[in-house]
Amino acid sequence: MEMNVETFAARVFEAAEQAGIAPAEICFGSSESFTARTRAGALEDYQVSDRVSLTLRGKVGGRIGTASTQALDEESIGLLISGVKESASLIETDEQDEILPPDAHYETVCNYSEALDAVPAQEKIALAMDIDRRMQACDARVKPDSSVVRSAKETFCMKNTLGLDLTHTSNLIYAYASALAKEGESAATGFKLLWGYGMDAVDAQAVAEGCQEDALCQLGAGRMKSGKTAVVIRGGTMADLLSTFSGVFSADNAQKGLSLLDGREGEAIASECVTLTDDPLMPWGLGSSPFDREGAACRTKNVIEGGVLRTLLHNRKTAKKAGVETTGNAAGGGRVAPSNFFIAPGSQTKDELLAKMGDGLYLTDVSGLHAGANPISGDFSLLSRGFEVKDGKIVRPVEQFTVAGNFYQLLKDVAAVGSDLIFEGSPIGSPSVLVSALSVAGE
Amino acid sequence: MLSMSICQEVLARALAKGGTFAEIFFEDSRNFSMMLRSGRIENAATSRPRGAGIRVYDGLRSIYVYTCDVSRAGLLRTAERAAAAVTDTKGSGRDVVLHERVTPNAHRIERPVLSVPADERAQILRAADSAARAVSPSISQVNAGFLSREQHVLIANSEGLYTQDTRVYTRLTCSAVASSGAENQTGSENPGAMMGFELFRDRVDPEAVGRTAAKSAVTMLTAPYCSAGEMPIVIAGAFGGVIFHEACGHSLEATSVEPGMSEFAGKLGQQIAAPCVTAIDDGTMPNEWGSLNIDDEGTPTGRLVLIENGILKNYMIDRLNGLKMGMAPTGSGRRESYAYAPTSRMRNTFIAAGQDDEEEMIRTMGDGLYAAKMGGGSVNPATGEFNFAVQEGYLVKDGKIASPVRGASLIGKGSEILMRIDRVGREMTMGQGMCGSKSGSVPTNVGQPTIRVSRLTVGGK
Repeated sequence: MEMNVETFAARVFEAAEQAGIAPAEICFGSSESFTARTRAGALEDYQVSDRVSLTLRGKVGGRIGTASTQALDEESIGLLISGVKESASLIETDEQDEILPPDAHYETVCNYSEALDAVPAQEKIALAMDIDRRMQACDARVKPDSSVVRSAKETFCMKNTLGLDLTHTSNLIYAYASALAKEGESAATGFKLLWGYGMDAVDAQAVAEGCQEDALCQLGAGRMKSGKTAVVIRGGTMADLLSTFSGVFSADNAQKGLSLLDGREGEAIASECVTLTDDPLMPWGLGSSPFDREGAACRTKNVIEGGVLRTLLHNRKTAKKAGVETTGNAAGGGRVAPSNFFIAPGSQTKDELLAKMGDGLYLTDVSGLHAGANPISGDFSLLSRGFEVKDGKIVRPVEQFTVAGNFYQLLKDVAAVGSDLIFEGSPIGSPSVLVSALSVAGE
Repeated sequence: MLSMSICQEVLARALAKGGTFAEIFFEDSRNFSMMLRSGRIENAATSRPRGAGIRVYDGLRSIYVYTCDVSRAGLLRTAERAAAAVTDTKGSGRDVVLHERVTPNAHRIERPVLSVPADERAQILRAADSAARAVSPSISQVNAGFLSREQHVLIANSEGLYTQDTRVYTRLTCSAVASSGAENQTGSENPGAMMGFELFRDRVDPEAVGRTAAKSAVTMLTAPYCSAGEMPIVIAGAFGGVIFHEACGHSLEATSVEPGMSEFAGKLGQQIAAPCVTAIDDGTMPNEWGSLNIDDEGTPTGRLVLIENGILKNYMIDRLNGLKMGMAPTGSGRRESYAYAPTSRMRNTFIAAGQDDEEEMIRTMGDGLYAAKMGGGSVNPATGEFNFAVQEGYLVKDGKIASPVRGASLIGKGSEILMRIDRVGREMTMGQGMCGSKSGSVPTNVGQPTIRVSRLTVGGK
């Protein structure tokens, strides 16, 4: 027999108390999504979902166990209770996650639009069709792939037996198009994504045009000569690198020897022009929330300030071990993760960075990050695309080369930071950056 | 599990406004995961993913709606949401009559993980951890993970199918970090199978897993960076098969072939690889990580020859792409869970054993790279461009393995590398991976014998 979440949660708390699990905490997440995908002038995919997930955490014999379910029925109550007990019996760590009463104060932060929630499905389908139409009408060298419009809404609640009772709801919409451009032997894929909190944020013409431009400008690409070169990394690409290596700023990783930043607070670990900020309270930020997954109040902080490491990202357990306050970055499951995480913008435009570089590479795309980048050693060697730059001007597209380096060294080699901070559908963002040297392997 | 009468009612409701086909995929799973770090078990959790996805074909268009509310009312509501999106209203209001088809099980499970005492499970991680740490004092950290999944599925569709299947997976993951203080290097080993806890009795020795991961990390710690350039490459078996998986396998999935976004589209019957290359995608291998009795659309799996002596023979095809291409599905329709509509995916995909001697291929290669162990990789199916990390590489000088090198990656195009394979060894071995694509992350085996590629671009420093 299915139950609604309030009834189910009450039953779980009751069963936990009877089983001697105290304190106990329930996290409940529910999400809804809508996706329309068009291809070749027709709606190809239409997807709608609603999902729930409930996690019980609770203390048994001094340790905190965890179990979760997507089924809110009688059988799950038994599974949650026995799962928490078994989990608590297996865990051996000294430092414990804790279940605590609420903090004294939580900031308010908004990344939810009621108006977006009210947009009917037909309007979102029409937008996908509109992007598709504009893609079909473009340059004959471009073969449109698909156009997608997706919206999502998420609600996350936490409730515990010590008086904690928090809820945060967010939503967003994004639209993207992808295409393949071909001319002779040369082929290149194009992609453009826009996102926001209303239909005005996802303009059909801007998506279609952006996608075509992205594909076309890479046609006729040559190869790069192997060697060391100065590189301007496009903001979105730098954000991809930052995202891949964001774990090096986790105190959890540092304390376990999985990051080289353990105990290095106060040291210069990056170039003076690098300031790295974690801002969970950013209005309309993709990763914004007033509280983290332990129910701790979130706050804004600089992780790197003028090149100096100020703090790592903490949850309560890592903070206790390090003798500091939590930074409000608990991500659930004992992990630590950034919220809206970005390199603070500088004053120069991308073109000024290219001019400052003179000769080198404008790196616009890296792929295979899950394979070609090692978040523990910091080493990366990535299949890349970009443009060769001479005298500060883009001269031709280049492809089929790798860019290799080390993330820790990269932070030190940043020579200038651009003004064009961008978040490409991710809570991790960056402006363009000029890096003094990276290794390129081409021909 | 859902009764036949509820399924009939839900499928009929999904087709109430038209549509040519309706399907329900119901899943109720039990997962258990446990992680050990710094020599201690840090977390352990059970979870129960459960939900249902309803799919309707509206012409050649797929409508997919999924939910966690699997009560009769919840499923009917979900079917109505799917029906509301149907545009072609011809033939609306069909009755659906189901017949149970029993799925024979080719993968015997002896000890379901959740029936094994918790401490016996924990012992696996402790064994991997202490064996890894015993390899060298430079081993500074070991992450060991135990993962198990028991997925119960029920698939019913408007063509009368009503069938169930259970998939049981067990896996040990181990990653060891070797540190010199200023530098870290990692090595990993992640064996798994469609088996229960007997995996650790029959196939996998947790101590050997820990040792192998640790040795690889220690070797890489003292290795210099690989220098870049074009050179001949010998790639060892097992996870070395990731190169075929990424560079060729994805481009043979109907997902990229049907829309013409693959460099192998329209090339059936043509030579796309060197004559020494035969490649197979086999869903039937007993108890293998990528095997399935039936795919996630209910189609029984089989053994599919992709490339025979260099000639392209078959694509991997799911039901909907099969309709669009006018070709029969190949038991390749897969999805991570009910939260994904299925599409064509790989299962156990490998280059078949050949005729060549492994020692000879290194002896006659001159100067080049021996990739003893591959990391992961990725590919752009439209252009065929790929990128693989070499986890453990060795320089070959004058036909002899000289010294270990780190940081190498292999880049190129799928169509090129297939044509440049000039040696295929005699013994095929497989490795386990989680393959991510449009329908989520699914267990797949990669595999090959040791092979040689006459030349390839190596990225390094």
